[in-house]
Amino acid sequence: MTESRRGWLGALLLAAPVLVGVGYAVLAGFDVIGPGATGWSANRMVRVLSEPAVWSGLGWSLRVATLSTALATVTAVVVAVAFRGSGRGDRVGRALAILPLPIPHLVAGAGAVLLLGQSGYLARLGMAIGLVGGPGDMPPLIYDHAGVGLIAALAWKEFPFLALVGGSVLATRGNVLEEAGHTLGAGRWTVFRRITWPMLWRGMLPAIVAVFIFAAGTYEATALLAPSDPRALPLLTYERYTDAELTSHADAFILVLVGVVVSLAAVAGHEWARGRWERLTG
Amino acid sequence: MRGTGLLRWVLLPLLAVSAIAPLGLLLMVSVSRDWFAPALLPPTLTAESWLDVVEGGRLGSAFLRSLELAVATGGLAVMAGVTLGRALARQTGWRRHAGAAAAFLPVAVPPIGLGVGLEVSVLWLGLGGSFAGVLLGHLVPAAGYVTLYFMSVFSGYDFRVEEAARTLGATRLELLRRVVLPLLRRPLAEGFLLGFLVSWAQLALTLLIGGGRVRTLPLEVFAYLHAGQDRYAATGALLLTVPPVLTIGLVKLAVGRSEAFPV
Repeated sequence: MTESRRGWLGALLLAAPVLVGVGYAVLAGFDVIGPGATGWSANRMVRVLSEPAVWSGLGWSLRVATLSTALATVTAVVVAVAFRGSGRGDRVGRALAILPLPIPHLVAGAGAVLLLGQSGYLARLGMAIGLVGGPGDMPPLIYDHAGVGLIAALAWKEFPFLALVGGSVLATRGNVLEEAGHTLGAGRWTVFRRITWPMLWRGMLPAIVAVFIFAAGTYEATALLAPSDPRALPLLTYERYTDAELTSHADAFILVLVGVVVSLAAVAGHEWARGRWERLTG
Repeated sequence: MRGTGLLRWVLLPLLAVSAIAPLGLLLMVSVSRDWFAPALLPPTLTAESWLDVVEGGRLGSAFLRSLELAVATGGLAVMAGVTLGRALARQTGWRRHAGAAAAFLPVAVPPIGLGVGLEVSVLWLGLGGSFAGVLLGHLVPAAGYVTLYFMSVFSGYDFRVEEAARTLGATRLELLRRVVLPLLRRPLAEGFLLGFLVSWAQLALTLLIGGGRVRTLPLEVFAYLHAGQDRYAATGALLLTVPPVLTIGLVKLAVGRSEAFPV
């Protein structure tokens, strides 16, 4: 077999499980195959997609993904700008910032449970300084409707990656343009607003989109920290798929398709933004 | 930048707390006994959960199971990734983009979606709930990541070195042993570690494909947390942290030792 054909076959083999899964999900969603299949019918698709639980779960997951990505991005930009030099303080700052990078999401979730729970360490510190009377007085930060604990855990886990990307954007493209700005008389804030920030967000956008997609679909930390109502999309998918009622399994396939559409929409949004920016800047 | 001086001195302690506090808390919880609110420090210490690891209890055997899975996934992902990444890197134009997109698919799909889709294939093969089934499941995203990695490695690789060796009479085996492997030693190690880590932290895929029967370390940590057994959950969580941290350390060491990327 030639190397070219081997490459093609191999790439197809890699993509095959996903393509089989998506193909199966479409067919199961339209009741063609799977338990309880009745032959081509859009009834299940219409029923699942008109369930308020699905839309509230999707909305909740998107809100958490947006807020955690925004928080991680702001933190990453601040860290990347503050520690962009080559001095000892810069190196220490960068090293401390990337420490959470290799820690698995499940561990971040476990840490958040022990830290942010109503009898967690934060509550105990609050009790020690008299801010909190007892575990019951601590505002719920995990399993809460607002998703504060999950947003914080995801932002903590993702900002090191974004800071790393932001740091490399500044290191490779930063100085010349900024120095030109200073030479032309622009103040520090103007240079940041007109040069550093646009350069950073454009360079970081692919990574930001990747973080958003990951946060919207992640299971580990969500299963540990999210509330039971509304049920986040990944949890709802898992719940339907493992339901004792076999006919619910096809509902899960429809939810998988919803998740895939969210990922594709985020990638398409990124491509649109990139295309627009390239058109504007030539 | 001088203006960021104050910001740096505010940020440094915050970053230090952010980096150290969660792991420090997990460590304290892992050795604590009867540590209830509002106590700030554990009243008594115990090594019970760590002994469980050493003596091959539930956490110990889960650790070994995860290690077996991750090593096998890393090894197989490297074999797939080198072959595919090398072949795809030699393509040009749309073929290269289409190949990269195919490798990117299993990486981009949310794990829960990938798991549900994969289970169909794994059940069809009769491997549902088995070690081999979970290994196949982990291999799909891992091979995707490692293929993408080797595509970029081979993009900067000088294939003329191999042609020169063949011209000088080297057999295929000699070419592999004396030219290709020495050149690719570091990327191979990094590719293995990448595949290892993708498998090591998997929960969604293991749960869906293994059906709860393949007891890996993430699965046990998850179960302990849900059961409120914080001491064991914290011990398992710390064990989960060891290989990724070691890996980053090893890669940094390797980067420090090699002057330039050898390919």
